[in-house]
Amino acid sequence: MNTPINIKVKVNGKEYKRAVEPRLLLSDFLRHDLELTGTHVGCEHGMCGACTVIMDGVSVRSCLIFAVQADGHEIETADGLGTEDALHPLQQAFMEEHALQCGFCTPGFLMTIIPFLRENPNPTDEEIRTAIDGNLCRCTGYENIVKAVKKASVKMAGKAK
Amino acid sequence: MSKIKHMIGKSIEKPDARDKVTGQALYPGDINLPGQAYMKVLFAERPHAIIQDIDISKAVKLPGVIAVLTAKDVPVNEYGLIMNDQPVLCGPGSKKPFAERVRFIGDQVALIIAESESLTEQAKKMINVEYQDLPVISDAREAKNDHGKLVHPDRESNVFCHYQIRKGDLEKGLHEADVIIEGEYITPVQEHAFLQPEAGIAYIDEEDRVTIMVAGQWTHEDQEQIAHSLDLPPDKIRVIYPAIGGAFGGREDMSVQIDLALAAWHLMKMGIHKPVKTIWSREESIIGHHKRHPYFVKTRWGATHEGKITAAEVELVTDGGAYAYTSTKVMGNATLMCTGPYEIPNVKVDSYAVYTNNIPNGAFRGFGGPQGAFVAECQVNKLAEAINMDPVEIRMRNLLREGSLLSVDTPMPKGVTIDKVVHKCAEKAGWKNTDKGWQAPAISKKNTDIIKHGIGFACSYKNVGFSFGAPESCTAKVELHGKDTIEHAILYHSGADVGQGAHTIFIQFMAELLNLPLEKIHLIASDTARTGQSGSASASRITFMAGNSIVGAVNNALKKWINNERPAIAEYEFRPPKTTPFDPQTGKCQPNFSYGYVAQVVDLEVDTQTGKIKLDKVICVDDVGKAVNPLLVRGQIEGATVQAQGYALMENFIQKEGRTYTPTLSTYLIPTILDIPEQINSIILEEADPIGPLGARGMGEMPFLPFTPAVVAAVHAATGIWFDEFPLTPERVISKLHEKG
Repeated sequence: MNTPINIKVKVNGKEYKRAVEPRLLLSDFLRHDLELTGTHVGCEHGMCGACTVIMDGVSVRSCLIFAVQADGHEIETADGLGTEDALHPLQQAFMEEHALQCGFCTPGFLMTIIPFLRENPNPTDEEIRTAIDGNLCRCTGYENIVKAVKKASVKMAGKAK
Repeated sequence: MSKIKHMIGKSIEKPDARDKVTGQALYPGDINLPGQAYMKVLFAERPHAIIQDIDISKAVKLPGVIAVLTAKDVPVNEYGLIMNDQPVLCGPGSKKPFAERVRFIGDQVALIIAESESLTEQAKKMINVEYQDLPVISDAREAKNDHGKLVHPDRESNVFCHYQIRKGDLEKGLHEADVIIEGEYITPVQEHAFLQPEAGIAYIDEEDRVTIMVAGQWTHEDQEQIAHSLDLPPDKIRVIYPAIGGAFGGREDMSVQIDLALAAWHLMKMGIHKPVKTIWSREESIIGHHKRHPYFVKTRWGATHEGKITAAEVELVTDGGAYAYTSTKVMGNATLMCTGPYEIPNVKVDSYAVYTNNIPNGAFRGFGGPQGAFVAECQVNKLAEAINMDPVEIRMRNLLREGSLLSVDTPMPKGVTIDKVVHKCAEKAGWKNTDKGWQAPAISKKNTDIIKHGIGFACSYKNVGFSFGAPESCTAKVELHGKDTIEHAILYHSGADVGQGAHTIFIQFMAELLNLPLEKIHLIASDTARTGQSGSASASRITFMAGNSIVGAVNNALKKWINNERPAIAEYEFRPPKTTPFDPQTGKCQPNFSYGYVAQVVDLEVDTQTGKIKLDKVICVDDVGKAVNPLLVRGQIEGATVQAQGYALMENFIQKEGRTYTPTLSTYLIPTILDIPEQINSIILEEADPIGPLGARGMGEMPFLPFTPAVVAAVHAATGIWFDEFPLTPERVISKLHEKG
């Protein structure tokens, strides 16, 4: 039952081959095995959204997925979204709009919003609210997060043209 | 040097934000050191029992287990922020009297240290603890008078703190009143639910210091409590804060700090040099750290037909839980603030903090203020209704003003602005100041058979900084580097950035005072080996206290700079005016040196079919003295308002017989974006505090205080029902509506 299983996962464009214990969570795999600590764990059962990552283009809770289920799939995390010198427009907007305070929930919000904006590059406030209703933030009161998403969407739409 | 004032009042971005949006910021659980071991706590998971025996023999034999620590391994098996009434580890074998008792479900029994996290889990299950269960004491009101069943058998009573205020002549005041409003109120427990559960890593540093990296609110207090339990001098302990994932008061007391230090120190004594890491689960976090105090209140207030409040009598009983934590200090605030920001000639207050077998209660944003404000504001709103006077008008006739005497019979510190705050808030919400006094706006939205609208008003004041004679100071050290001109400057400061943006503010003060660009300021923060005593990031004190310390340190450094010292290095310890404790008989004291003032109007609708309350608009007027960074100030107002909304409407922490039924984020619900008010209108007033740094007051807690009573007043306006207990969950609202018929 505890026999390690070989998996191959692409994370932020880089391929990793690892042998993992079958019950290892994807969140723990990313954080401990790959040392990608930009993915945070806040509740361990899918309630807070802090551990959200993108799997094959779709937002998922990495605390509700086993690492073995990611075998052969592609994962994106906040660690790979942009660099300190070349921030993604969404990261830039979060900074400018003060959409984070303690910042612990931020990677989960970013990884929830990225696929949403790919699907819906021109969202209304209402659509933004619905998109992030599964992510908890205890510091900001959420309003600045909506502003940041709005700002990023305008910027990204401009770039796309 | 010409001064261009350019950095104070500017909404600069947080310098830590870049690391936080890229996932590079390291929170305590993100830090890994070579060769690290893992630690797990065995919690009691029962509310009241005597541990007869702990058998660790099987656990320690499990390959990969390095050590299992129990009470006998703790040099001084006690700790506490106010009093040392809590064992580090419960069980037999230490010198601490009655340490073999567990008094709440989160009491810690053993620490398991092993090569991997899964091994700690396995070993934990192999520990056999023999408990003799004791009757559970879970109702503070009963425990207050029951001296037969004691939580701490070495005390004579479960009451561990009592304050009283006697001002004027209560009976005379009540006699002068035309109406008397009696009330009984119950306020709920609240869980901090910061997003980052407790975690940390400990190691022995190059100078043989037991070093822990952890998220806390007060490095030097952590250091002192660890030193006490380990029986080491404080300078042999080093506390460092990396990124902190929220706090709200919930990290003011010890959680993993002493455990981690004990583990690293114990391993060192065994000749094993391994860092020790721990991460609590959410469930461990919820049972393992304190909560906001519930209060049980009986009160009566009198007023004349002219709206003059003549008397207030309040009895406060609070559940301290199993250990004191900061209960005595929280109770001090509640005792003062339960009569509101009003000058009342005749006041009698009695307050009691009581031990029970519930999870301990302690610091949480507002620190007794929200509970006090709930009582005072509900009473004033009910008085206004009883004498048919507008709620703003009755406030204007009673508010504290410059020179007013508090219930504790001393004048307010200068810079009282509650009347300006109330005025502004009322005006913004559509009140008119007519020749007949203030008049509320007519509700424009139409009620239907099902949906009822209402607006409610409340206002509050909250101290900035430590109160009631607690030692209060804050230290900053500044280095100025350069030749002819200052090229860059370094600030050493312990003030914790728990997410509120303290470090941003520090850098803004430095840049402003030295007329340097932001990137020329370097901050070395929150490391007891390098930074001085700052006091805690609590009591809305950091901007005020740290700001003043930075002003002093910069001034001293500039004097040395002028004397050609290179680098010019200076330290400064800021001490505010002294406060004094309650007089045991009369309560007379000088409670605080500074206050912040706030008023709120809540506009909401009640669905009378479902009991659901929807918040349409919140107007919050907050006098912050000087908004050092307006973006951060608005962030605090919005964050505090939403947290208060959780407190008022939805956060329902359930404990029965000392056990909690809401130990997860799926059972304890905090606001999501779909729960928050449709609109929060934050209005910042800047009436300088005479002793604030560049006029700034504290403000982080203030917007939390008036929210719940404003909601309750609005629900009353909508439905005609006064709710004296909350949260106003749909279940509670609908059952009251049905009662009314």
